[in-house]
Amino acid sequence: MTSVIHAEGLGKRYGRHPALEDCSIDIPAGRVAGLVGPNGAGKSTLLGLTCGLIAPTSGSIEVLGKRPGSQLPRVGFVAQDAPVYRTLSVADHLRLGARLNRSWDAQLAQNRIRKLGLDPDQKAGRLSGGQRAQLALTIAAAKRAELIILDEPVAALDPLARHTFLLDLSELVAEVDVSVVLSSHLLGDLEQVCDHLIVLVDGRVRLAGDVDDLLAAHHETSLEKLVLDYLMRAEVRS
Amino acid sequence: MIWLTWRQFRGSALTALIGLTVLAIYFVVLGLSIRSSYQNDLVGCQPAVCDQARRLFLNTYAEQVGLSGALLIAVPALAGVFWGAPLIARELEENTHRLVWNQSVTRTHWLAVKLGLVTLFAVVVTGLFSVLLTWSASRFDQVNGDRFGALLFASRNVAPLGYALFAVLLGAVVGLLLRRTVLAMAVTLAVFAVVQVLMGTVIRSHFMPPVTATVILDQEAMRNIQGMGMNDVRGRIFGYTIPGSWSMSEENDLYKPDGSPFTVADAKTCMGEDDMRAEQDCQAKKKLYFTHSYHPADRYWSFQWIELGIFVGLSLLLAALAFRRIRQSAG
Repeated sequence: MTSVIHAEGLGKRYGRHPALEDCSIDIPAGRVAGLVGPNGAGKSTLLGLTCGLIAPTSGSIEVLGKRPGSQLPRVGFVAQDAPVYRTLSVADHLRLGARLNRSWDAQLAQNRIRKLGLDPDQKAGRLSGGQRAQLALTIAAAKRAELIILDEPVAALDPLARHTFLLDLSELVAEVDVSVVLSSHLLGDLEQVCDHLIVLVDGRVRLAGDVDDLLAAHHETSLEKLVLDYLMRAEVRS
Repeated sequence: MIWLTWRQFRGSALTALIGLTVLAIYFVVLGLSIRSSYQNDLVGCQPAVCDQARRLFLNTYAEQVGLSGALLIAVPALAGVFWGAPLIARELEENTHRLVWNQSVTRTHWLAVKLGLVTLFAVVVTGLFSVLLTWSASRFDQVNGDRFGALLFASRNVAPLGYALFAVLLGAVVGLLLRRTVLAMAVTLAVFAVVQVLMGTVIRSHFMPPVTATVILDQEAMRNIQGMGMNDVRGRIFGYTIPGSWSMSEENDLYKPDGSPFTVADAKTCMGEDDMRAEQDCQAKKKLYFTHSYHPADRYWSFQWIELGIFVGLSLLLAALAFRRIRQSAG
């Protein structure tokens, strides 16, 4: 099995402050991987490194076997709060996707917009947070990326929009052959969709692996209890 | 990418084109009016009234031509502030760069298209404006004979093209560095204004070393001075300008043919003549001379091209900085 993200001893410092230290992970292809940890744990830093928006200060990282950011068409990224062009309409955003991506799947995009009930003429600035996230995910998906990375996609959403978004994400993964990495500070969000988990605390990886394996190895039945255990241990150590 | 840039920019472009159209009509009307005045009042005027007619002609159009020139200098500034500064800053501010940088085009490509399209548009708009004004005011400028004047030089022919290019790139780079649209707009305006003022008042006159010549104060030279002055020690003349040239000396000491300074005592011999003209004739007979340094009229086009070259050079530096910066940018 090839890995979509492979990092060894990866680190990123901002001045003297380490945002991420000695991070070694390996996410196999075909997974929906959840990156969980409290605010400021280094989740955004890790995802930024993954899509090449920032450069590491130590260690190495490969995405789909190559340097991050070197293969834009194969990686889709939805930044925190799902930024969109406020003055452009939903249809304009699809046109943007079509113009900027050779591999654009117009059919997929159209179908998703219809299914999600988005009005193509609506200005993106007037969409709700949940709709904006869905539009951003649509662009990443219709680009036919092999890996979609979502940075805190549901953090700003109300519980219902959160649920709807994650349900839609699961359906998308079932429909299209794609690996997904998403971060959240709430384990509950990830439990719903993830089959691979990485727990990040204070810039360090505390726990990583396929959910089933993790549970079996620790003789636990609840993911929540397992992760909580690790978070508390990290707390005690620091 | 061209589509996206155009989609984001088309509102501004349309506004600019409407403005340009209105101004084009105004400039054509102004130009025709100036030309017909010139034809009717100045061509073949009676020598006795020619000076009077010229003054009247210049007075009639000075305000309109002057304001148009000021407007033309403002166009690149507006392009820099309203098109250049938000070009990147707004994307960074609203985080949309994180959306667009994660499509299949590289940041370099993204930046190249954005900068290319918007600077091209600003240069074309400014260029059309400059062509129109240069044509419209050509007779006025010809009679006025002050092509090197700071405002006139900067608002005719090719110089404005350089300003437009520079202003947009300046705005874009300031926006890229500051990452705040409104702040970037203010800083762009301030820097552009400072560069323009420095260029006009300090730098431009050093494009080439001025020519220094010894001028005999004869009847003809008398016509080109604004005044004569005396103090206890010596006499001097003020504001001597050869028509069409750029004078580098505001006032010049007068010397007698033997090289000694012209003094009050020397001047007194001509005072008491009946009128101004007689007094001037009397002074002219003395063959006084002064040294004058200036840029000859035929340097005008060299100066225009040098000015354009400097702004193109600055623009290239700014563009290089932008591309360097965008590759390193943390997003």
